[in-house]
Amino acid sequence: MKIRARHSGGDKIETQMAPMIDVVFQLLIFFMLTLKIVEPEGDFDINMPLGAPQQSSMDNADLPPFKVRMQADPDTGELAMLSYNSQPLGSGPQAFLRLNSEILKSVNALNAAGPSNLDKQEVEIDPDYGLQYKNIISAISACSGKMVDGKMVRYIKKIKFAPIREPQ
Amino acid sequence: MKIKSSGSGPPDVDMTPMIDIVFQLIAFFMVITNFEQQQADERVTLPRDQLAKPPEVKRENSLTLNFGYEKNKLGEKIDPNPYIFFSGERFTVEESGLKLRSEAQFYKTIGTDLKDVTVEIRADAGVPSGMVQKLIQLCQEDGIGFQRFALKATQNRD
Repeated sequence: MKIRARHSGGDKIETQMAPMIDVVFQLLIFFMLTLKIVEPEGDFDINMPLGAPQQSSMDNADLPPFKVRMQADPDTGELAMLSYNSQPLGSGPQAFLRLNSEILKSVNALNAAGPSNLDKQEVEIDPDYGLQYKNIISAISACSGKMVDGKMVRYIKKIKFAPIREPQ
Repeated sequence: MKIKSSGSGPPDVDMTPMIDIVFQLIAFFMVITNFEQQQADERVTLPRDQLAKPPEVKRENSLTLNFGYEKNKLGEKIDPNPYIFFSGERFTVEESGLKLRSEAQFYKTIGTDLKDVTVEIRADAGVPSGMVQKLIQLCQEDGIGFQRFALKATQNRD
C-alpha cells in the first residue's frame, strides 16, 4: 500500500484562482443581464356584486353604501363628471381631492355615531362602461384613505363595484 | 538609488481587491433582482397611485391576470381591443372563461379553497372600466367561483 509522504516543507499551497474567477464573472454577467428594474406595485381589494345586475346593491349591512358615480366622456373615455351621493364634484384630478375630503367628512360622521359603523360601511363605485380604468384606481384611492407624513390614514376598507352599465 | 532587479519570473498580480469588488457586485445584483414579479407583462401600463403600496404579507395563493393592449416597440397600441395575457397566450374577456375554469379546477384539485385565492388584475390604465368589471364578474361565474379580487397599480412616490 502506498502511503503518502508527508510534505513537511514550508512551501505555500497555491490555490487556483482562475476557475473561481471564471464562475464569479459568469454569475455577475447573469445577474447583470437578467436585471429588470421594476417599480413597486401595490393593490386595492375590491368586490363585485354577485347575481343579476338588477339585484339591489344593498346587502345585509344596515348602512346604505356611499355611492360614487363616474360618468365618462363618450369619445375619449376620460372622466366627465364625478358625483358622490348624487353631489357633483366636477372632473379632473381636483374632483378626486374633493371626493377624498367628502369621504373624510362622512367617515368623521360615522365615527361620531360609533366606530363599529365604519367597519361595516361600504363604498359603491359606479362607472360608465367606457371610462378609463385609471379613474377607477383614483376613485378607490380617494375612498381608501390619505397619505399623511408617509403613513396611510385608512378611511373605508370595503369597496365594491356597482353592477355593470352596458355600453350605449 | 535603488534600481529594481528585472527578474525573469511573471509579476505577481494581487487579485484580492478585484475579487472583493466582484463579490460586492454579485451580492448587489442578487439583492435587487426581483424574481417575484415574473408574472408582470410589459404590455400593461398600470395606473399610478400614491396609496398603492405592496402588501406587507405575501399572498400564498394568487392568480395574476394581465389585461392590456397589444403594443409596438414605441408603446403605441396596434390593436384597439384589449386582451388578457395569461401564460403566453392572449384572450378577449369573453374567451377567457375556459382558461379561468381550468385554473379554478386546478386549485380545487390541489385542495385549495377558492376563498383563499386572490385574483390579481393588472389592467392597463386605458382599458374600459366596464371590461374590468366584466372580467371580475366572469371570475365569479358558476363553475369558476373566484371570490377575492385585487386591482393592481404602480406606487407613485411623488
